[in-house]
Amino acid sequence: MPIIVEKLTHTYMPNTDNEFVAVEDITLTINDGEFFGIIGHTGSGKSTFIQHLNGLMQPTGGSVTVDGFDMSDKKQRAKGRALVGMVFQYPDYQLFDSTVLDDVSFGPKNMGLDAEEAKQRSIEAMRMVGLDPELFAEKSPFELSGGEKRRAALAGIIAMRPKYLVLDEPMAGLDPSGRREILATINSLRDELNCTVIMVSHSMEDVARSAERIAVMNDGRLYALGTPDEIFSRTKELISLGLDAPQTARLAQELRERGFEVPEDIYTNERFVSWLKGRMNDA
Amino acid sequence: MITIENIEYSYDGALKKALDGVSLEIGDGEFVAIVGHNGSGKSTLAKMLNALLLPDEGSVSVFGMATSDEEKTLDIRKKVGIVFQNPDNQIVTTVVEEDVGFGPENLGVPTTEIIERVHNALDAVGMLDYAKHAPHMLSGGQKQRIAIAGVLAIDPDVLVFDEATAMLDPLGRKAVIEIASRLNKEKGKTVVMITQYMEEVIAADRVIVMNGGKVAMTGTPEEIFKRGNELRALRLDVPVMVELRDMLQAEGLIPENDALSVSEMAEVICRSLLKN
Amino acid sequence: MLKDITLGQYVPGDSVLHRLDPRTKILLMIAYIVAVFLVKRIEVFPVIIIFTVGVTLLSRVRLSYLVKALKPMKLLLPLMFLMNLFLIKTGDLLVEWWIFKIYKDGLINAVFIVLRLATLVAGTSLLTLTTTPIALTDGLEKLLSPLKVIKFPAHELAMMMTIALRFIPTLVEEADKIMKAQLARGADFESGNIIKRAKAMIPILIPLFVNSFRRADELAMAMESRCYHGGEGRTKMRVYSFKTIDLIAFIAMALLIACIVIMNKFMPNIF
Repeated sequence: MPIIVEKLTHTYMPNTDNEFVAVEDITLTINDGEFFGIIGHTGSGKSTFIQHLNGLMQPTGGSVTVDGFDMSDKKQRAKGRALVGMVFQYPDYQLFDSTVLDDVSFGPKNMGLDAEEAKQRSIEAMRMVGLDPELFAEKSPFELSGGEKRRAALAGIIAMRPKYLVLDEPMAGLDPSGRREILATINSLRDELNCTVIMVSHSMEDVARSAERIAVMNDGRLYALGTPDEIFSRTKELISLGLDAPQTARLAQELRERGFEVPEDIYTNERFVSWLKGRMNDA
Repeated sequence: MITIENIEYSYDGALKKALDGVSLEIGDGEFVAIVGHNGSGKSTLAKMLNALLLPDEGSVSVFGMATSDEEKTLDIRKKVGIVFQNPDNQIVTTVVEEDVGFGPENLGVPTTEIIERVHNALDAVGMLDYAKHAPHMLSGGQKQRIAIAGVLAIDPDVLVFDEATAMLDPLGRKAVIEIASRLNKEKGKTVVMITQYMEEVIAADRVIVMNGGKVAMTGTPEEIFKRGNELRALRLDVPVMVELRDMLQAEGLIPENDALSVSEMAEVICRSLLKN
Repeated sequence: MLKDITLGQYVPGDSVLHRLDPRTKILLMIAYIVAVFLVKRIEVFPVIIIFTVGVTLLSRVRLSYLVKALKPMKLLLPLMFLMNLFLIKTGDLLVEWWIFKIYKDGLINAVFIVLRLATLVAGTSLLTLTTTPIALTDGLEKLLSPLKVIKFPAHELAMMMTIALRFIPTLVEEADKIMKAQLARGADFESGNIIKRAKAMIPILIPLFVNSFRRADELAMAMESRCYHGGEGRTKMRVYSFKTIDLIAFIAMALLIACIVIMNKFMPNIF
């Protein structure tokens, strides 16, 4: 069963001078097992949007249902929330316990699991995110490097075995290798746990490479929704929205502007090379 | 001119040296990029440049003044300003213009001159309209521009950006890089850009790659990016366009070239297509 | 949103009161408190009320803000009124009903005490309504600076207040984010007894403290990098100077106090 978002609107401080509509009239469905990317610049409403997916925020208009649970309803929300794991941008917002293992176990314990099972799940989660339990279980989370903290935070959510994994800027602030590794980890988690991944990212290259469908948010509204092919064929529009299109898409666009016919689905280096090869051979 | 001679530094309680024998010269008006993965020592190096940290071994000299000379500390900081990573943690007061005036206030600059400096600094980063705003209501990119203005108001010769783009979104990042290049080209400021984003290195005159507290490579961006495999081994990367260039060259589709940016690549490919 | 919270209750404006030097306003507030306490007889109180209302009109701050300032006292005021009304048993007996007896002195005292408290709170809140927190901090620093001779840390105190004002909204926002991150991990802040709830705060407080220490560390470094070296030799971007309106304000206050002293002495008894 999917996550169904219907006519979702969220207004902060309604009926006051500071009234502010953060998201407006968003309708979309996130299917089971898909890798769903969300892009949009700061203030486009994307973080408000994802907080509705696990009931951290409630719609002021419209509805969000997770596997049939209405997230506006207090009782159903608890059940829905248990299905949706949410990893925030900065691991510093959630790491608190004295050891990594205890910290990762926080979620499972809150779910009411007994100590032994919580520990088992946590160790398994640590292994899945690439934190060797032997080395890290007894370490303080505050001693970890930036990339390791991010993994520990991810493990804390994975240990709760969510069906949907929502990630807010999981690669922000990491070095290039760190970014590649986290993205690889996310992809392997998806295969292993068979879960749906919903990822917010500024990095168009990363979204282009991994996401199966992309939602583009702008000014609190859903600006576009489609496969990467569909979205990045509109590179010119993305740039005008102040978004960062993948550089290869920008290159293709620049060539188009110079009068060459470049197909619209070219936004990765691999595709660009095979296109240019084909074209040179034809000539 | 900054001369760094064989410096070593360890943080209290750390097993490994954060800096392990770094020697470097940064010339006047140069745009130097320092790259390296997390923990490579690049931020520690930045803090050596204006006596925020002092080396355990070796020496750092800024315009002939040794950073170890306590009497010169203030003069050194007047010459070398640093923009830090987290925009929130470098803004001191509750009004934008007063924050920009913080540096000159510390130096005892007369009030009328502070007002003029603040005006010019805010103008230079395009934030004049926000002079009376509260910093916490601004976006990350805007806050970082305020932080740059705060450094500019001190009128340093050298501007160090210590991963100043790491916490920003693409728009904010672009604005910071543009301001840095402009200050370098138009105002003749020496810029030291410390970053992990390889795209931000393209505009530099010289790139220094750090690894394990040591300088691992140095050269022009073109020279550095030719060594993609070495970069990847150091947990870094090449810009997307350089990767594409290498792939196209390997297929023999374009001739050897030094294109680094999208528009340079477009130019090269155009020529190849037209020749064909 | 949480970050929209404003500190203090400053109402932006450009009235005479807004334009007064913050030092003037702080000193006048002290004088006002003295004036209110100088009033010895209820007959004199209208002077204070007229003055307070007059100044409020000058400030162009809506009277409703003053009423809002009185809100926290909505329990204290009636309580004080009733205590004075029933506990003072001198003067003529005015009303008698069952066990309740109201005497003339009780009634006068009850009204007097309520007026005194209400005008004190409403009048002094005009200071924070018309002065930004940062100007208040500057004013305090300037007023306290003569005490530097006896090693009183006037500058350091003002700097601490400034930094606190700057970071409170940031920390509130951060606390909100941390709370959400832990809620997403199934933390429960709402059920259980006090001890359980206090324990539930640990996952919020620890990240908040750890992050705050790191912030403090980074801020200290950024301040040093921008040539901060204490208050010595520092100039100020915003310079306050006493102007004619400040002088007029002081004269007005002096007149008020003189009025009260004279009326205390010569005003005929009405009640």
